[in-house]
Amino acid sequence: MAKKPSLGRQKIAISKIPKKNHLQVTFSKRRSGLFKKASELCTLCGVDIGIIVFSPASKVFSFGHPEVEFIIDRFLAQDPAPPDSGECRLIEAHRNANLRDLNGILTQVLEELEVERKRGEALDEMRRESQRQCWWEAPIDELGLCELEQLGGSMEELKKNVMRWINELMVDSCSPNGEIAYESKPLEANGAYNLGHVYNLHDQNGLF
Amino acid sequence: MTRKKAALAYIANDASRKATFKKRKNGLMKKVSELSTLCGIEACAIVYSQYQAEPEVWPSTLGARRAIARFKNMSEMDQSRRMVNQQEFIRQRIVKAEEQLKKQLHENREREIVQVMYRALVGEGLQGLTIVDLNDLGWMLDKTGKEIEERIKELKKSAPSSEQAASAELQADKAAPENHAALNDVVAVEGLEATQNQPWYMDLLKPRNEGDALNLSRNDPMPSYPYGNPAPSWSDFYFP
Repeated sequence: MAKKPSLGRQKIAISKIPKKNHLQVTFSKRRSGLFKKASELCTLCGVDIGIIVFSPASKVFSFGHPEVEFIIDRFLAQDPAPPDSGECRLIEAHRNANLRDLNGILTQVLEELEVERKRGEALDEMRRESQRQCWWEAPIDELGLCELEQLGGSMEELKKNVMRWINELMVDSCSPNGEIAYESKPLEANGAYNLGHVYNLHDQNGLF
Repeated sequence: MTRKKAALAYIANDASRKATFKKRKNGLMKKVSELSTLCGIEACAIVYSQYQAEPEVWPSTLGARRAIARFKNMSEMDQSRRMVNQQEFIRQRIVKAEEQLKKQLHENREREIVQVMYRALVGEGLQGLTIVDLNDLGWMLDKTGKEIEERIKELKKSAPSSEQAASAELQADKAAPENHAALNDVVAVEGLEATQNQPWYMDLLKPRNEGDALNLSRNDPMPSYPYGNPAPSWSDFYFP
């Protein structure tokens, strides 16, 4: 199930986008990217930033560190230095500690995401490889009638065996996963992601 | 341009931090400018840093004042609806990333199960799979089975009657369901005969010949690959 490749990065002229849909999509993406860059700049360099952006529909988006209002007030007052006091410093210390934690979590999730993406690519590659050698692994649409009937029959057989095997296991041991949650439920990955733990079939996190 | 991914943390090294600030600040201003031009919208950016007494402003002090005035003219609700600080923004990013992760895990799980399915079809045993795995495998078999049925219906609709007759013949050819050789150990318990004849899946291993699809003779030599051996450990081909 390969993803459709997107158009990727394309060079565009910096002038107003003529098509309305395109403009709206671009606004959405770039605004998000802009805030992300601002957020990173705050984190990496410990600076205060305020950004105000009006959408094509005249809604307003704003990003501010520590807060949009602080930056606005400071700017309008033409005040180079922010108010400084013991209390301010304490608040700032708390805030920074909190942000450090949040950034830590974000980093972890992004790393796991990257790991899973690579796994996905590798799995796709394996699939492509074996499709070259085994005709029955080809997409359903590419198979002929006879092949389909044969494959279908084989699958039914295997299905029976799988059910038999499941029953075997159920009878043999008191499995912690009690009942067979087996109806035609859609595949649902459990939300759990164990930090640094790579997903494998031995996990109890199945599709249900 | 370096492409090393910077860690999301305060840069301790002063020189490094200053250099990063300069680059990224310029980049930020450029992005704000592009956004404004591309989408024909008003915007402003204000950056206070330890490196300058005055804040760096885009588009200009006047431009920023205008934008701020327009901002303040809006209702409190409109102002705050799309207002975020660092905390909120990073939380949003975390939520987004977790959703993507969940989706990716799900996709990968599907890919894995499909592989398990195809391996099982050619005789690798079902030992080593947990009940959860087997459940998912059953689900995938059902799903794929349905797709195959749908496709068969489609083809039969448009297929000439001769092909239908031929395929009916093929069905008749097929003997009663044969046993999955690799399950011999298991099914012996249930008294099913372990057949030494060609298991049902052997037909699948014939190379596919164009125009030869109807000719699936059982006298062709058995391809040599291990079946009926103890199932390989699943951890072998799942990535450590």
